Amino acid sequence: MTMKMKMKLKNVFMLYFLVSICGLMYALTQLGQPCDCTLHSRQSSDLVHSRDRTISRLQGELKRLQARGNPEGPPKPALPTIYTVTPTYTRLVQKAELTRLSQTLLHVPSLHWVVVEDSPVKTSLVSELLKRSGLPYTHLCTQTPKDFKLQEGDPNWLKPRGVEQRNLALQWLRENRGPSDEGVVYFADDDNTYSLRLFEEMRFTKRVSVWPVGLVGGVRFERPLVERGKVTGFYTAWKPNRPFPMDMAGFAVSLPLLLANPAARFHLSAQRGNLESSLLQTLVSIEELEPRASNCTKVLVWHTRTEKPKMKQEDALILQGLGSDPSIEV
Amino acid sequence: MPKRRDILAIVLIVLPWTLLITVWHQNAIAPLLAIRKDDGSDARRDAGQGSDSKEYCSSDKDIVEVVRTEYVYTRPPPWSDVLPTIHVITPTYSRPVQKAELTRLANTFLHVTNLHWILVEDSQRRTALVTRLLHETGLNYTHLNVETPRNYKLRGDMRDPRIPRGTMQRNLALRWLRETCNANHSLPAIVYFADDDNTYSLEVFEEMRSTRKVSVWPVAFVGGLRYESPKVNAAGKVYGWKTVFDPHRPFAIDMAGFAVNLRLILFKPQAYFKLRGVKGGYQESSLLRELVTLNDLEPKAANCTKILVWHTRTEKPVLVNEGKKGFTDPNIEI
Repeated sequence: MTMKMKMKLKNVFMLYFLVSICGLMYALTQLGQPCDCTLHSRQSSDLVHSRDRTISRLQGELKRLQARGNPEGPPKPALPTIYTVTPTYTRLVQKAELTRLSQTLLHVPSLHWVVVEDSPVKTSLVSELLKRSGLPYTHLCTQTPKDFKLQEGDPNWLKPRGVEQRNLALQWLRENRGPSDEGVVYFADDDNTYSLRLFEEMRFTKRVSVWPVGLVGGVRFERPLVERGKVTGFYTAWKPNRPFPMDMAGFAVSLPLLLANPAARFHLSAQRGNLESSLLQTLVSIEELEPRASNCTKVLVWHTRTEKPKMKQEDALILQGLGSDPSIEV
Repeated sequence: MPKRRDILAIVLIVLPWTLLITVWHQNAIAPLLAIRKDDGSDARRDAGQGSDSKEYCSSDKDIVEVVRTEYVYTRPPPWSDVLPTIHVITPTYSRPVQKAELTRLANTFLHVTNLHWILVEDSQRRTALVTRLLHETGLNYTHLNVETPRNYKLRGDMRDPRIPRGTMQRNLALRWLRETCNANHSLPAIVYFADDDNTYSLEVFEEMRSTRKVSVWPVAFVGGLRYESPKVNAAGKVYGWKTVFDPHRPFAIDMAGFAVNLRLILFKPQAYFKLRGVKGGYQESSLLRELVTLNDLEPKAANCTKILVWHTRTEKPVLVNEGKKGFTDPNIEI
């Protein structure tokens, strides 16, 4: 290189160096001041906020509209329907139990509540409750045969309960649903406690899905034992040799499986604790069970029972002919 | 052999560009981070971790619920600017059915607009079970705790039996409200004491929203009756109590049968539930007589003719098969 070119190159170089340093200085000072960034971020976050406000407002409206929805059924939903079968019978706490159960069920999308009363006729208490619940429902009734009905003072385990009622629900499903209907059937007693997550666990059942149940069988919880994603046995302290030592609240059956087995039903003659097995034996084997709730390690349903309210004063008043107003429904 | 001069030249050329690129990179990411952080803190406020609790009392900004990536099974109704807030005070204590009770209670509360759940544990420390449960529900909540003094001489419960259950917890919640809410700037709000084993219809919350001082209504399954109820005359005023058990109490009503306007709580800062020396059934009176007279009571539920709340009690589960050493895995929470 000639001297002249070298000089020129050096100048160019120095110029470039100076310009880039100046540019960098400018950029660094800009970084120190937050003005432009915050404006930009605030605008975007305002946009996000207003969009979220709209979303939550619309969701609220949607929920309100759904709650007031037609009990005969909205247009066919995309999610498989959960048919929740609840047998119930008249007693003091019935309205309270059904009220709080309906409040839980109201949160679950694509749920159809099948309530079957142990009664010769549909009572107005249940009819009104179902109408006001906001849920899609089916109201059925059938009376347990006298020989199988618990008498006053009988321990609750003496005779199987809710059998005919659940069978009637199965019959209704067979008569009103076809092979093209997706769905899952869950037997939910009216005094248990259900978390909302449970319903999402059972929704996509292919045959029979299972999970732990809390506060049952004399232990904190009973659960299926799962190895490598398959049910290999059951962890239960009471009568563990039953074919399916589970509680009614611990499994759900897919609707197509039930429809494909028209003879499957609960048996009144089942021994104590074998009611669930009397149905499941005809439907599925242990290997085919689908474990849910994180491989059956989470308790999402509890077998709670409600105390019978003490009516000492009420009974005393009734003897005097001064009982409380029966037209006020409790 | 590269000359030192050449190396220097290359470094001087490359250095500004690398610096420029890093600066530009940071500049572009920072605003995005600012947005994300904003959303995150808002969502946490909505979930009501209790840290920014002033909002429940004096909020004039829209509380927005943000959709998160993890599946939220349900959420409470959007907060309304016009409806009074209902502060629901629930004392609770650890026992096997606790999680179940709180779960189904939360399922009920998730339907009620503008509900703020004040859950007070009877414990030395806030338990992980309740903390997790509250966070997962998505409700607006405040989580407090105070331990009822234990009487170690007694077996079993060990709780001092002279202090009615839940009293210290309810009082703590009242104190929290008085410390958090400003009497002058508060939006209208109602205070309701809801035990964790009762059953509440959704209507009862709407009935209590219009409370000016103290409103009352019937409660089922208390006092050994189908229901206890205030007696309401033709003028719509409460003049007595339809109960068998001691109807001459100043306020013969169950904890679940009344609601108090927050303003009244704030204007009478000395009003608390009496801790000791309270006869059975007089706990409610110990608070209410400091707040109102019989004449001021507002009857709800169609002049106290409808049952909207039931004093259900849950059976203690029989855990006989757990045995002495325990049968089930204690790490699995029930």
